[in-house]
Amino acid sequence: MLPDVETLERLARARDFIDHCYDHPLSLDQISEKACFSRYHFLRLFRQAFNKTPHQYLIERRIEKAKELLRAEDDVRVTDVCFEVGFQSLGSFSSLFHKCVGHAPITYREKARETEASKRQVPGCFLVMYKLESV
Amino acid sequence: MIQRMSHATIFVTNQNDALEFYRDKLGFRVHTDAMVGPDFRWLTMCTNDQPDFEIILMEPKPGMLMDEETSKTVRALLDKGVLGAGVFNTNDCRGTYEEMKAKGVQFVSEPAERPYGIEAVFRDNSGNWFSLTQPTGES
Repeated sequence: MLPDVETLERLARARDFIDHCYDHPLSLDQISEKACFSRYHFLRLFRQAFNKTPHQYLIERRIEKAKELLRAEDDVRVTDVCFEVGFQSLGSFSSLFHKCVGHAPITYREKARETEASKRQVPGCFLVMYKLESV
Repeated sequence: MIQRMSHATIFVTNQNDALEFYRDKLGFRVHTDAMVGPDFRWLTMCTNDQPDFEIILMEPKPGMLMDEETSKTVRALLDKGVLGAGVFNTNDCRGTYEEMKAKGVQFVSEPAERPYGIEAVFRDNSGNWFSLTQPTGES
């Protein structure tokens, strides 16, 4: 059963907080505070509402941002990406990235670049029709 | 004003098999063969005489352009052999017919005189049928 509207609003507030501050070290205490729930109560409600823990949500957010930075044109270093998206150690970033994406960060970048290069050979309407790109 | 046609799609049951067929039996060459993402292969081929007209060999896969039902329907139409995909021109219909036949291409009809030239009809290995026409005046 979904939590009531007021609870959802409070949970969404905490989630917005993650969205804005994912690049900082965030503790469960800090996040649950935003929703004015005790940490364990918050953890349970958050998972119930969003099907993942606040920590999982935070990691996903960071990985998404890392993918975006890795795909960018300029050759930003993996270490810089790691710290820029809020991870504290390169080791945990690399292993989490591999677990979520299926490739190491550097391999992901190479593959993303190859895909971009291939895309330039295909008329855009096909990319859109075949859902490889949004309009 | 539209000037010309540059690309046309032919649905095929398997891109690898189609590539071999179009290259080895029809004499086409690969224009572009690129993976765009893990599931989408952009494969286009052309004839030597018309390198700027690309035939897109596309598999009717579910999950992208088509849903499961649509892709099954297109595959069924290919299997039934009801999809006619166009007309190829040659300056020697009978000779090309012999060459292609020797390579194992299946013909629906042998070369015959028509008001517009000499025409045979063949199928590709996905079931699409094509006219092979030598227009009147070409030899």
